[in-house]
Amino acid sequence: MHACPTAAVAFAARVDTNRVLTGTTLEMPFGQSPFAIGRGVAFEALLRRHGHAELRRVLTEGLGVDFSQAGIENLREGYQPNTTGLKLRASVTRSRMAEIIASPAEPVVLDGAVLRADVGGLPAFFEADEMAIGVGGEIVVGENKSWPVVDGRPTDEDALGSALDQAATYVLLGRRTLDDAGVDPDRVSSNAVLVTPRNTGLTAVLHRQNVDGRVRRIERLLSAVPHVADIATSVPADVTFDVAADTSLPEQERVDAFAEVSDRLGRVYEPASCLSSCGFAWACRQCAFATGDPALSGGVVARALPGVVSLSRVAELSHGAPASAVEAPVAGPLARAGRLYDEAVPVPAPRRRRPA
Amino acid sequence: MSTAMEAMFAGRIHQDGHALRRTTLRHTNLTDPALGICLWRLGGERFRAAAVAWGPIGGPYKLAVAGEPRNRDLYFSALLPFAADLCKRIRRVAATQVARQRGRHTDYLPADALQIVVPNRTTVAALGLLGRYLAYLSDRGGVAPDPALVEAGKHLRFYARHARVPGQALLVPLDRLLAEHWATLLSPFEQANLAAVDAQIDPPRGVHAFDSGFAAEASARIGPEPTEDIDRITDELLARFNEARGGATEPATIGPLIAPIEAHYRRLVDPVWALMARVVDRERALPAAPSVPRRFEVDREAFGRRVDWVTGGGRYRTTDTPRQAAMTLRRLEEPLARYEAEKAIEDPAAMVPYLLDGEAVRGVVASLNDQYRVRFRVKAVRRAIIALDTDDPVILPLGKKLWWTATAHDHHWEVQDVTANGAGSRITLMLYAAPTPARLPGVGDRITFSVLHTSSDGYRLPPPQNPPWTHTSAAPPAPPEPIDAGDGDPPAAAVDGATLPDPGVYA
Ligand code: SF4
Repeated sequence: MHACPTAAVAFAARVDTNRVLTGTTLEMPFGQSPFAIGRGVAFEALLRRHGHAELRRVLTEGLGVDFSQAGIENLREGYQPNTTGLKLRASVTRSRMAEIIASPAEPVVLDGAVLRADVGGLPAFFEADEMAIGVGGEIVVGENKSWPVVDGRPTDEDALGSALDQAATYVLLGRRTLDDAGVDPDRVSSNAVLVTPRNTGLTAVLHRQNVDGRVRRIERLLSAVPHVADIATSVPADVTFDVAADTSLPEQERVDAFAEVSDRLGRVYEPASCLSSCGFAWACRQCAFATGDPALSGGVVARALPGVVSLSRVAELSHGAPASAVEAPVAGPLARAGRLYDEAVPVPAPRRRRPA
Repeated sequence: MSTAMEAMFAGRIHQDGHALRRTTLRHTNLTDPALGICLWRLGGERFRAAAVAWGPIGGPYKLAVAGEPRNRDLYFSALLPFAADLCKRIRRVAATQVARQRGRHTDYLPADALQIVVPNRTTVAALGLLGRYLAYLSDRGGVAPDPALVEAGKHLRFYARHARVPGQALLVPLDRLLAEHWATLLSPFEQANLAAVDAQIDPPRGVHAFDSGFAAEASARIGPEPTEDIDRITDELLARFNEARGGATEPATIGPLIAPIEAHYRRLVDPVWALMARVVDRERALPAAPSVPRRFEVDREAFGRRVDWVTGGGRYRTTDTPRQAAMTLRRLEEPLARYEAEKAIEDPAAMVPYLLDGEAVRGVVASLNDQYRVRFRVKAVRRAIIALDTDDPVILPLGKKLWWTATAHDHHWEVQDVTANGAGSRITLMLYAAPTPARLPGVGDRITFSVLHTSSDGYRLPPPQNPPWTHTSAAPPAPPEPIDAGDGDPPAAAVDGATLPDPGVYA
């Protein structure tokens, strides 16, 4: 989810951003260790083994509701692995949620529930690992992660943050689904569930965490995604990622083609989010460097420089160059920062440089 | 952090093509030689160090490779030489003690402490987890784990916990050291890659820092978490190794089979080891700040206390009581404030952000009156008043407390008046203590006042031994327990992401 026109157009055109620059030095290394994937697969298999026995146990212990006899509907099986399958699963998820909320006789788990969202005006499908229904009249969304928890703490804080963001997305979409069906959206609990292994083995343990704050943030992010229809009307017909993706062309030609397309569409480069989720990130970073875009060094720097067009200009202002009217508010602090720094740090002695 | 300062750095680095120093001094103790540790895990396996390299920074390293780190026997026998060597080094360093006189009280603390240097903060976390795992191992099949593993686990756990103390130098992650000392074009997210930071600091001749950093980022592998390309190779080697050993774990069978895996990890460790030595060398060349020995004394004290306790068979809680949590927070907050203050007071470059953010003022002493009298309760006392002419206009509330950097450990001054003065301001400040020569600057001196001081904020009462019920959890915190149940289960099969419709779900 990026408020970025280039990413939005790629999404609208169903372009896989991870593949466009395949084979160039700007291809993002998003691949994962086969051991890490194997661990994730094994953990999910463990939860589903023997009629989901381990999942039933962990939900029962963690939610305080008996899931031993709960109906578990596995929506990962019996549907085509394509958009048609996803649409069907989304429709089943929607009707199950409404049905069971209406008559919460027994707890039910939807394994692989699919939720639909409009991203930039286009339909997108999100797959939740679990949707436990009938927990005190509520629906609880859950995610399974194979990183362990030790002494009640995650072994990877960043991974925990991403997992909770994911769960918050499902909470938001689950609420919208109920709302569309005329059911009280607050029946989807704010407390999402994470199921992870505990300690060094794979024994599962459940954690509940309130994700209300994240739900609000994700709602803002979703609404900030530019509307594809609006962009489409302003995008000339000749804008295409095809040249950048053409592996028969020399690398420079492909990279230049990407730079041209993204220049025309516009980029909203933000290092942390782009580098962790968009296949164009290295290419966009390269463009940011080439144009001296202050966003190159992150939001703090970019936000500090309203009215200043490039990093070269920042450097000039820091050396006391006269400022234009729009640059005036930031020119003073920049010049002062440069002067104080020059005063504090003597001109560096020439460094031993590594040979090229 | 001053945003103007960060923007100035970004602009100048973009223009000049190389990183810029954030400090003129080194604020972290670097012993010679420190013990370097470089770790590679198996992907996704937080407790399995597939390879551990250790040795003096700048010297040769030893390498422990288990082959199949998910096999407990193989894993522990590979880790044992590392564990034993670590314990030996720690005990040896802790054995030499020096007396420290505090008033009439003499205490003893280690003359030195074993400093561990690692490439990044992720390795600190990895060592902490490894420590947690090893420190409380359960018996398996009636066989107790080797005591060296358990002792090493406790040491590693202590080191990883101590690494949270601001300004500490017992466990130094080099990515943090560089981020503190250098400004680069890398965003905080990218600064976790030590090779990229180093390449921006020292780009090859004629290459811009950005390009140099990118080339390093794309090619360097630092660990501890392996990338896909690394583990594809590991997967193949491991499959061959496991097939060849046929379930055997004894050294005679394993020894001849492990060489290809060892060579694989040596290829990974070699560049990281060289990088660590280069980084340490460069930072060591910078003069140490005056407060570095003081902070390392605090480290030595903590090191000595813990070594005594660990070698005496001590056990840590794995979760804090509310009282411990409050004390830990205080232990971290106070050193942070003091560390930040010492850094800025001693290092003119580190003071710049405070000057920019209005937390410090610099100027020339225009006049000094050390015979000024004020009425304090019933009697008149002597105070000193100075007028400070600053280069830039400043906005300061009257009554604001400021410390002269030369006496930041001592009494504060208070702002009495601020008036416009040419392009800058004239600030009138009064010293809140009896004027003595050491407390007074001279007329014409160019000096700095700031909100930073190094004196303690006064004696604080320790939290009560028995906290009120509002601060007591319903159940007492769990005592340390082994976390190794299931570590002998058969390992999960590796899965090639290319065979899955959406491998991203396992990210
Ligand atoms: S990497 Fe580029 S295309 Fe992707 S979101 Fe960021 S700026 Fe947009």
